[in-house]
Amino acid sequence: MKTEVSRRSFLQLIGGVGASFMLGGFATLACGEEGASAQNPFAPNVFLKIDPDGVCTVSIARSDMGQGVRTTLAMLVAEELDADWSMVKVTQAPGDRATYGGMGTGGSSSVRGTNQQLRRVGASARAMLVAAAAKQWGVEPSACRTEAGKVIGPDGKSLGYGALTAAAKAIPIPTDVKLKDRSEFKIIGKPQNRVDNLDVVTGKAVYGADVRREGMLFAVCLRPSVFGSKSETIDDAKARAVPGVVDVFAISSGVAVVASNTWAALKGREALEVKWTEGPTHSTASLREALKAAAKDHHTMPEGAKRLTANYELPYLAHATMETLNAVADVRDDRVEVCTGSQSPDSAQNNVARATGLTADKVEIHNLLLGGGFGRKFSNEWIGEAVEISKRMKKPVQLLWSRECDIQHDLYRPMSEHVLSATLDAEGKPLGFSHQYLQAPGRGNGDYGTNTYLPYEVPSAGLRSAGVPSSVPTGAWRSVEHSQIIVANECFIDELAHAAGKDPFEFRKSILKNERLLKVLISAAEKAQWGKTMPKGSGQGIACFEGYGSRIAHVVEVTVKDDAIRVDRMVAVVDAGTTINPRGVEAQIQGGFMDGIATALYAEINIDGGAVEESNWSDYGWTRMSDTPKMEIFIEDSGGAFGGMGEVGYPSAPAAIANAVFAATGKRVRKFPIRLSELV
Amino acid sequence: MATYKIKVNGITKTVEAEAEMPLLWALRDLMGLTGTKYGCGIGSCGSCTVLLNGESARSCQTAISDVGDKEVVTIEGLGGKELHPLQKAWVEHDVPQCGFCQAGQIMAAAAFLKETPNPTDAEIDEAMNAILCRCGTYPRIREAIKAAAKEMK
Repeated sequence: MKTEVSRRSFLQLIGGVGASFMLGGFATLACGEEGASAQNPFAPNVFLKIDPDGVCTVSIARSDMGQGVRTTLAMLVAEELDADWSMVKVTQAPGDRATYGGMGTGGSSSVRGTNQQLRRVGASARAMLVAAAAKQWGVEPSACRTEAGKVIGPDGKSLGYGALTAAAKAIPIPTDVKLKDRSEFKIIGKPQNRVDNLDVVTGKAVYGADVRREGMLFAVCLRPSVFGSKSETIDDAKARAVPGVVDVFAISSGVAVVASNTWAALKGREALEVKWTEGPTHSTASLREALKAAAKDHHTMPEGAKRLTANYELPYLAHATMETLNAVADVRDDRVEVCTGSQSPDSAQNNVARATGLTADKVEIHNLLLGGGFGRKFSNEWIGEAVEISKRMKKPVQLLWSRECDIQHDLYRPMSEHVLSATLDAEGKPLGFSHQYLQAPGRGNGDYGTNTYLPYEVPSAGLRSAGVPSSVPTGAWRSVEHSQIIVANECFIDELAHAAGKDPFEFRKSILKNERLLKVLISAAEKAQWGKTMPKGSGQGIACFEGYGSRIAHVVEVTVKDDAIRVDRMVAVVDAGTTINPRGVEAQIQGGFMDGIATALYAEINIDGGAVEESNWSDYGWTRMSDTPKMEIFIEDSGGAFGGMGEVGYPSAPAAIANAVFAATGKRVRKFPIRLSELV
Repeated sequence: MATYKIKVNGITKTVEAEAEMPLLWALRDLMGLTGTKYGCGIGSCGSCTVLLNGESARSCQTAISDVGDKEVVTIEGLGGKELHPLQKAWVEHDVPQCGFCQAGQIMAAAAFLKETPNPTDAEIDEAMNAILCRCGTYPRIREAIKAAAKEMK
């Protein structure tokens, strides 16, 4: 068991860090800095510890990249524990699958995957505290109740949880506990601020990039601009002459420059002369052509009175997390320590164990706050690089990806081509719907199974996928395939509505088979005054999405003026089943919509000669403050299962914007990002 | 290499650095003040924003040799014993998502409010456009700035 002293020396934390920010797992905290009060904690399992001072510490085994799980998951435990929320703290679990199970954070799975377990953690601890108090008072546990961190006896006397820690330890862990009915919730459903706010606004929050260790060196990496090429010859004479540069050597992904500070490493990298082998010379233009040529395998639809076909083009997208990839690795002969921000710290433990030949228990992965994730921080390749460099240097080394590395060596959201066709009967009702979804890179022609990603009633619908080879590395991006399929579907449904001579809201309403989605759609239309008269050059657009256990409808107003598109207003109605933290939901819907604006209006990654053309925020455009529209977000609890929230705010956002552009201009968006000159 | 004495958050610090080293890396790697963040290195995102004699400056574009006797304030030193009204408003309005850009946002807002104590939405847009937030916390930043402006009156 580590002591506080060793953890302190590992992290030279600046200016002191609250208990809410201590690193490491539960065991580490048990001998933590609360001093005497921490000597006799009640810790029924790895997820919860209650100290004699009444502080309840919840161990979070999912990564917080801005979606707020450190707050939400703690709320689930606190609710069933009947904790005093002001006495709840969180600690981040280390990457350790043997102790915490799978820790991968993505696909809006944190709440959906762990809520039962975490609620049981709270409920069983509560039952043990009640039993301990009842025993002390000589009454039946059933005669006691709990409230805000206290057990209250039949005659009104009470004991705080902190006073019961020693006694609760002697109570056997209950095998069966009853979870609360939602009518009994006191913390769930109430807006809570994020537990990390104070640390963030005072600069005390520790991200992976902020870890400092004694004797630590700083490294950056030069990577080949062309995907798939390798270093052939390295002339490092000038790089080594840069003051502060300690070493330069090839690693599996490029050339590492190690220095006494990041600036020296960056200067050293600039001075490197590397000849790279040739690689595939793909371009987005050639890939687009190949995708169009590969579009052959359509779903067979019945003929109708009308047939419509449209192609939609979506670009490669970078994640461009605000904090670039980084890790501190300290590789010793018999153990490895890594400090990083990863969406899969448990996999990182296994990866590092494999790479070093050590067993997983000799690999400590400290997972810190992630300055953004969006799917980028799953792959852990940067950890492998840091380990490679530290192993060679025999010192702790921080590897930091520059923004240029980040933009040019992402695992991009794939570029895609969507061929949609549909047939309508004489009344304008859809008879058939065919969506061919082509990606670069993508797999060979195939059926996408029974899931057509269509919430609408269409007698014959099919989604078929295909792809073409490409050297461009790709990965999951916020809302994964929905970021492509739903955008195309919701644009095309709008086209169908107009072909059928119907209002796009009424058309969706008439064919939506999903009742909960229908409810949010109708509500959004009402709240946004759908159909109101808009000024010339302005228009309303609508789109909806169900996925990740949640539903959303967006109504957007845009103005097209002076060759620019401006999003003026957004109304969203969200049904996340039973909402845990309304404030967190609102933040995710705001953020998801800002991503919608960014990708509708600005963001695209282009490839030429096998290399990415964009390199920084200056040419990979994103939203700024002045892009921010008036946003009205309404949460309509359906009371169902807890839904996911990280992804749901995105897919229908760009589609609603594109549909509003049509309403404003009479011209269709078939290509993203939207260029007014490319409307059809 | 040269020796620089610079005043950061009221304390004079001595660092050995190359003249051209940006203040950002001097703060982060030489002084251990990691609240100021690296986001782009080219003065495009504003995550590295600090105050130089009360004015907003991009520490990634400010050479250590150009700091001279100007007072540097970073997020760690903004509040003093109490939180700065902006920090308070940021917490109360639950602004941060990932939080990584927020030091830059707050420092830019601090310089802005000093110049513009009663900002309009358009003025906030113009001033804060310089600082990128990848999570899209802009609506809450706007509200927090307005609340802090009120508080500071």
